[in-house]
Amino acid sequence: MAVNHPANDRWRRTVRGRVLVMASVMALWGVAMEARLVHLQVFRYDALVEQAERQQSRSVKTIPKRGEILDREGRLLAYSVEADSVVAVPNEVVDPIGTTAAVCEILECSEQRWNTVESRLSGDGLFAYVQRHVSVEAAQRVRGLDVPGIGLIKENRRFYPNSELAAHLLGFVGFDNKGLHGLEQLYDQEISGREGRVLVQTDAHGRAFSRVERPPMAGVSLELTIDKYIQHITERELRIAVREHGAVGGSVVVMNPFTGEILALANEPTFNPNVFGSTSEDERRNRATQAVYEPGSIFKVITASAALEEGLSHPAELFDTNPGSIRFGSRTISDLRNYGVLSFTDVLVRSSNVGASKLSQRLGAERMGRYVRRFGFGERASSDFPGESRGIVYNPARLTESDLASVSMGYSISVTPLQMAAAMSAVANGGELVAPRLVRAVLNEGERVEAPRRVVRRVMSKNTALTMTRMLEDVVTRGTAQSAQLAGYTAAGKTGTTEKLVNGRYQDQGRNIASFAGFTPSTRPELTILVVVDDVNRGGGSVAAPVFQRIAEAALRQLGVPPNIDAPAPVLLADELFLPVTALPVAARLQPAVRTTGIGAAPGTMPDLRGLGARQAVEVATELGLSVEISGDGFVATQMPEPGGAMTPHQTVHLELDRRAMESAP
Amino acid sequence: MLERRLYRHIDWLLLGAVVVLCAIGVTMIYSTTHDPTAGAAGPQVRTQLGALALGFIAFAVLLLIDYRWLSDSWVTIFVGLLAMLAYVLLFGVVDGGAQRWIGLGLFNLQPSEFARIVVSLGLATVLYHRRWALQTPVGWLMVAGIVGAPALLIYQQPDLGAAVTLLPVAFAILLFAGLRLRYVAILVAVAILVAPVAWTYGLQDYQRQRISSFLDPELDPQGAGWQQRQARITVGSGGPLGKGFLQGTQSQYKFLPVAHNDFIFSVLAEEQGFLGVVFALGLYLFVILRGLDAARLAKDRLGRYLVVGIMSGFAFQVIYNIAMSAGLAPVKGLTLPLMSAGGTSVIATLAAFGLVLNVRMRRFTN
Repeated sequence: MAVNHPANDRWRRTVRGRVLVMASVMALWGVAMEARLVHLQVFRYDALVEQAERQQSRSVKTIPKRGEILDREGRLLAYSVEADSVVAVPNEVVDPIGTTAAVCEILECSEQRWNTVESRLSGDGLFAYVQRHVSVEAAQRVRGLDVPGIGLIKENRRFYPNSELAAHLLGFVGFDNKGLHGLEQLYDQEISGREGRVLVQTDAHGRAFSRVERPPMAGVSLELTIDKYIQHITERELRIAVREHGAVGGSVVVMNPFTGEILALANEPTFNPNVFGSTSEDERRNRATQAVYEPGSIFKVITASAALEEGLSHPAELFDTNPGSIRFGSRTISDLRNYGVLSFTDVLVRSSNVGASKLSQRLGAERMGRYVRRFGFGERASSDFPGESRGIVYNPARLTESDLASVSMGYSISVTPLQMAAAMSAVANGGELVAPRLVRAVLNEGERVEAPRRVVRRVMSKNTALTMTRMLEDVVTRGTAQSAQLAGYTAAGKTGTTEKLVNGRYQDQGRNIASFAGFTPSTRPELTILVVVDDVNRGGGSVAAPVFQRIAEAALRQLGVPPNIDAPAPVLLADELFLPVTALPVAARLQPAVRTTGIGAAPGTMPDLRGLGARQAVEVATELGLSVEISGDGFVATQMPEPGGAMTPHQTVHLELDRRAMESAP
Repeated sequence: MLERRLYRHIDWLLLGAVVVLCAIGVTMIYSTTHDPTAGAAGPQVRTQLGALALGFIAFAVLLLIDYRWLSDSWVTIFVGLLAMLAYVLLFGVVDGGAQRWIGLGLFNLQPSEFARIVVSLGLATVLYHRRWALQTPVGWLMVAGIVGAPALLIYQQPDLGAAVTLLPVAFAILLFAGLRLRYVAILVAVAILVAPVAWTYGLQDYQRQRISSFLDPELDPQGAGWQQRQARITVGSGGPLGKGFLQGTQSQYKFLPVAHNDFIFSVLAEEQGFLGVVFALGLYLFVILRGLDAARLAKDRLGRYLVVGIMSGFAFQVIYNIAMSAGLAPVKGLTLPLMSAGGTSVIATLAAFGLVLNVRMRRFTN
């Protein structure tokens, strides 16, 4: 084949040329394809991936389990329950009208609802709600329906088992797991957890099959400083007071002055967060942190503390309040009556406006302003309340003498109840302003992280605080706040009666804000309680102080605080009926009252059943052949006939029981 | 028949490339037909494997029979093809509005797939024996008959795509047989003039729609433009490295129609990304250029024409299908040879490569 035929040679050349042409075409095509692929796969990659994902999938959020809110003892205040929601895939609904009828029959739709459901089912799409949060029975029936395109999904629903209890503190949660008020709002991010995403993949025919991309992460739980029991008592007592005095509202703050822990915080009016939709703005307002008021005479505590701290006075210094009024230019500040010459202590005890004004002049605007700020007025008291007000504090440099006098007795200044409670706590705890707080600890998957106590600043020296405490004790024992006296505990406090500013005028008669701030036991305070009752025609001493008294007694008992005055001797009951009465070894200081009971008394005489529990009393009495009639609960307080009296068999003995058995002990 | 000497001249490289492409094809078919809910691949995988087995038998047969012997009996073969095509028109299996298959019980045979080989063989033989055929009207008539008769029958099925693939086969052989470039120019001019007429009278509605939707896919994103748009999304969303084996969401969720068939290349692009595509593209280029090399090396003009015809048919399919898969050409039911699922296509393509290797292997024999 090595013959070099000319024709053959020409053919070879042609072939070589044509091969080259074809190879070039192929190469060109190859380059073009590569370029196209680079264009699509590199430069337009992101856009095309997004297009692919958009047409293939629909991302559905899965709502995580919302954390619980507990009180300090771990009792549930708010938790989430899984509720079924009826949903539809309109694309898959074959017969919208028939399906609507079937579903609506179960859900008992209104006519309007019926139309809504029908239009949703007739629509086009992959998801629509039919009805959210249906009852268990309804869900069960829907499940049994077996209609194409109708299904159920689990959703969280917030539940507040105690209804109104601590409603303002807890707040509430909207449909979409979003906290809308209170702690639910403030700690929403932490409590709500992290949303999961279910990526619903669909094929070109719209057939869906799901694939979880990210599971939801449950939210943390909050352990509050609230004590459910004390909260309950507080709310009850406030409600009673508000009703009794025909007030428009009120607030009570109960806190531990040392730790800043809020044990209870109540507002009136209140609301039920389970049905927050049907409540009014006014009911939902947390007055204790959002409503400012002029504190009135309670503020004399700040004035007095400032004067003491600055060494401008001492408790025994005498002030001449004659003639019971003092003039600042055209303005006269007067006391209820002319108290004459008063000691510094008695200025507080009598709540003398003239005395407080004189003190304020001694302090001067600048120093007064400084102490107002130091006590935390004009700044937010706590970080645990959304929308907390700072109150209104005027610039001291602009205060005239008259204004200064006003401030010294709690006018021309607006504070929140929470600020006032924190300021009173500073006196109670020896001079430190401790930030009030509501969250005691955050619980996350078994791990408990405690929120720290936060001292804002030292407001006054320990000595000043101690002196103030002595003076405020006097206010309770012999001053305006005598109705705040507690059985077994010393208390210190100050009343306030503020004439309300309505339409820019102070109302002379009958429009007062009655308040009381106090702490107990005053020797080593466990509780600071601030009571504010809005719009009554009486004063703090008669409206607010009794509320303090009732809440304090219940709370102290709940907290197990031992009495610090008139410690009632422990009642020792001799179980052995014939035990000799003497020689029971007890600490001398306690002076026990030892009594024998039952037939230990002289035969034929009435036994002393006082101090016994109901069951024990009945046992003893029936053993003696007596019939028993009981009223009240707790321990036997009084009995009729009296112990030692004549006893006849089958006689009826009336026992009156009381929770405060101690008092009746001889 | 296979002497040791011949055995040594088998183009193992080309064969290797073909085998790798087949393997990639089967893998991709497995992946696209894999049902994520059932956890199993579709029946197409088994069919494809069977077709490959048959294909390699056909490959071996056409490698062993001397192509000159085949050339001598081309008339018989040509008539056989026409008979099969006619049979299809009369008694063929109807599927999807077209009558293209002969039912063989186990599988359906699509005779049009063999048309390219037979036409190549016929043209090569005629032009080999009548060297100056292109200068005579009789020669042109013969050429027209060899191409036109099967093309017409195939067009009647209707299968415009398969009919059209005969044109590059004929064109390439004529080019190598000495067709003046002047004629090529005339042909192009005529085509341009005829195009509007053909548009109006020669094309079916769906064909017109395909072309207009190619020119602007966004005109009708849910209708005719759908496939092309989906092809683009499929390729693009693969990105540089791909989504991974079995992870091609576009194809598995049936967004891309006939993914295992016409759009297998898009699936490869989606799952294996730019790197995988470049590899496959390189293999195809290698196969085509190696085929052209076989044409260059062929001992005689017969072998040369034969290889050129076969390779241009192959190349045209590859060029068109890949361009289509990348959204660069109107959607046409053209398979990607060696990779697409399709029994007859695989068998015919492998048989054709048997002939290509046949010619190259016998380049030193007399």
